[in-house]
Formats: sequence, structure tokens, C-alpha cells
Amino acid sequence: MENIQDYIESGILEQYALGELSPAEQASVEAQAARHPEIRTELQQVQEALGFYAEAHAITPPAGMRERVLGNVMAQIAKPASTLRADVDAVAQANSGAYVSAAQPVAAAPEAVVRPISSAPVAGPSRSTWAMAASVALILSLGANALLYTRWKDASSDLVALQNDQARFATTTTVVQKELGALRQENEVLRSDEFRAVALAGTKTAPTAHAKVLFNPATHKVYVDVKSLPALPAGKQYQLWALDKGKPVDAGVLTAATATGEGIQQMKDIASAQTFAMTVEPEGGSVSPTLSTMTVVGNI
Amino acid sequence: MSDTPLISLPPAAEADLVRRLQARDESAMTLFYERYSSALYGVIFRIVKAEDEAEDVLQEALVKIWHAFASYDSSKGRLFTWVLNICRNLSIDKIRSRQHRVGSRTQGLDDSLTAQRQAAPTTFRPEHIGLQEITQKLIPEQRQIIDLLYFEGFTQSEVAEELNLPLGTVKTRARTAIKVLSKLIR
Repeated sequence: MENIQDYIESGILEQYALGELSPAEQASVEAQAARHPEIRTELQQVQEALGFYAEAHAITPPAGMRERVLGNVMAQIAKPASTLRADVDAVAQANSGAYVSAAQPVAAAPEAVVRPISSAPVAGPSRSTWAMAASVALILSLGANALLYTRWKDASSDLVALQNDQARFATTTTVVQKELGALRQENEVLRSDEFRAVALAGTKTAPTAHAKVLFNPATHKVYVDVKSLPALPAGKQYQLWALDKGKPVDAGVLTAATATGEGIQQMKDIASAQTFAMTVEPEGGSVSPTLSTMTVVGNI
Repeated sequence: MSDTPLISLPPAAEADLVRRLQARDESAMTLFYERYSSALYGVIFRIVKAEDEAEDVLQEALVKIWHAFASYDSSKGRLFTWVLNICRNLSIDKIRSRQHRVGSRTQGLDDSLTAQRQAAPTTFRPEHIGLQEITQKLIPEQRQIIDLLYFEGFTQSEVAEELNLPLGTVKTRARTAIKVLSKLIR
């Protein structure tokens, strides 16, 4: 090479890396690269720069593509093995049928892969025994491969299933933990000595109604626990009121679950009260109680 | 040179993958897919510009890589370079075989550049910050030439003809652009 720098600057390495050259030109570039380390390094840099440019454009393939593409690729690259297996099967059958004259049946199966061994000029009993042994070994090996391939495929779909299960369990656990937290809190309220239980008895409009308010005068926390309340008309909600020196204070509305007695519910904080009462109000509650709908009432 | 963060596999892992593919280990194709599918799909998609066709080409390329693996020579270059070239060639063959490419080259170029610009915001999701960096480091003229050469499969003479530039200018710009890219990985 007269001038390596001229060669590099001619742009031929870029053309090589971009696939623009004819096979002869490619071979010439490869020969130069093998001979001159400077050219080799330069070519490598060009290729890596283009590789870097390519990789900067990486895109995550669309969902589901991995299974489709890998599945098809695996099926296609596994194909030669199964054709081979069929051929070997044919040979093995022929060999086991006519042990001594192995050459003839093999000739009848022109596709047979092991033909070169069994149709060799010195074919005799010992050769065909070896051929048969080799065939059997091949079949066993192919069988094992097929089995391992199936297991590998099963294992990867099992893995996906397990990952889904795991994700589901994780979600369930979060929900359960949240519920457990709520139950712990309720339990603390129910067991606490600071809470005063106020029994609310049914009024004339609902004599069998019965509920309980748990009130903590120190922390001002209020919980309500329904035993039994009449079913509500559509668009209505029970609302709890605290009466402080005869003045009603809104303590919040009861959720549908609380009203049917499914659990206790924390209400709005109440600073001071002597009486608690519940009325039926339009959904969302009212500013002041509709006294005619008072369902339960009780004094501390 | 090989400890760059962007090129998919560290040399030891690449050598291991090459050994497994040479040993005809089919399960190595799964690993191969994990490592290279995003990079290869990105390039193929940029060339063929349609998701379904890009998927076909990627699949075809993987089968080809498997069957032609004996012809891969690690002394001539990295595995990534070799597989990239296979994917690029298949993709370029694909777009060249399309009917509408038979028309005038000018039409084709205008179409593809417009398509590229319009497709960018929705379908183009670069994974690496590298692209942003490249956009800033390459001047638009350099980027245009690299894109035509790399993603449109134009030869340098075709680019010169298309952009009405002397071939020498195209060669210089291409070389300078590749030098800029080279510096970014070092």
C-alpha cells in the first residue's frame, strides 16, 4: 500500500460498512484490513459508529411479537431435525427388517441421511450393525432433543403463567393488607377504654332500629356501628348528628355498607356532644337535620 | 472501544453467545432475541416503515442468521455488526421489491422523507438518550446523508445525484458524520 491515509480517506471503508461494495471489492478491503492495523482500526471504528447510530434508533417491538417471532423462528430452525429424524427412522426400519442385505432397502430410500455409511462398498453384517447402532443412537438423541425442546417451550410458558400468578398475588396481598389495616384500626377503637359507647335506640318512626356511636371526648373521634336500620328509599342517606347543648352538628353521612351493618365507619370529629341522632337526608347529607325523619337517638 | 455502554453486549457475553450459536444451540436464539431485537427491529422499522413488514423481516433475518452462522467470522468484526448488516440488507431488499419503488427515485425520496417526518411523533420511540445527543451533534446535512445511506439504502453516488451535490462532498460529509458518531462512543 502506497499511502494508507489516502486509502482511508478515499471513503471506501464507509462504502464497505454500508454494504455498497461488490464481493470482489469487499474481499479487497478485508485483505487490506488484515494487512494494515491502521485500516483495521479505522474500519472497526466506522462499523461501531454505524452500529451506535443503529442502536440509538432501537425500538421495543410491539407486544406479542416476541412470542410470534421466536415461535416461528424456532419452528423453522427445528425443521431440519425432524426431516432428518424421518429419514433415520426409514433407514432404521429397513435395517431391522433386512439385517444382512442392508444396502438394498437403503437404496430404496434415496433421501436417507445415513446412506454413505450403509451403501459403502464393503457393506457387511458388521457395518450394518454399526449403522443400526448409530441410527438408534441418533434417534434416541433426536428424541431427547425433541423432548428437551418441548420441555423448554413448556418451561417458558410456565414461567409467563407463574409471573402472571405472582402479579395477581401481589395485588391480592395489597388489598388484604389494606383491609387488615382497617380491621386493626376498628379493633383498636372497639377495645379502647377512651371510647364511650352511646346506644342509639329507635324512635317512633322505626322502633326496631338500633345503632351505636363510639365517641372519644379526648381525641374527638367518632365511629358509628349499625345493628339494624330500616332500608332507605332511593336517593337517600343516613346522616349522623351530634347535639351539643341542643345545637345539631353534622357528623357525616353513613355509607351504604355501614348502614347495612357491614362494619364500623369513622365519622367527622366532634368536639363536644351530649346526644347523637340519625336522620334520613338526601344523598350527600343536609346542612341541618330533617327532624321528622329522625330514626335513632341516644344520650351519652 | 468495546466498553461503550450502547453496543448491546460486552465482549465476553458476545463471545459466549457466538460459541453457543456455533454449537447449534437453539436456546441461544432466545438470548439473541432478548439482546438484539430492539436494536434490530428499530433499524428494520426505520427502513421498511411498517410494523407488520418489520416483523416479517426480523423473523426472516433471525432464521437467516441461524442458518448462515457458519459464515460469521469474529475476526472480521463484531456479531452486532454482522447481524445488523443482514437485517439492513433484507430490509433494503424488501423496500426495493415494492411496486411503488419502481417509479422515479425522486418521487420515492420525497415520499419516504415525508413519511419519516410524519411518522416520527407517534411511532418512533427511541429507547436511548443517545439519539437526542446525536441529533444535537450532527448537523442536519450530515444527518440527512447518514439517514439516506443507512436507512434508505442509497449509495453515495445516488445520494449525490439526489441532493444535487458533488460526489466528493457527499463522501466528505458521510465521513465527517461517521467521525462525529465515533467520537460520541469514545
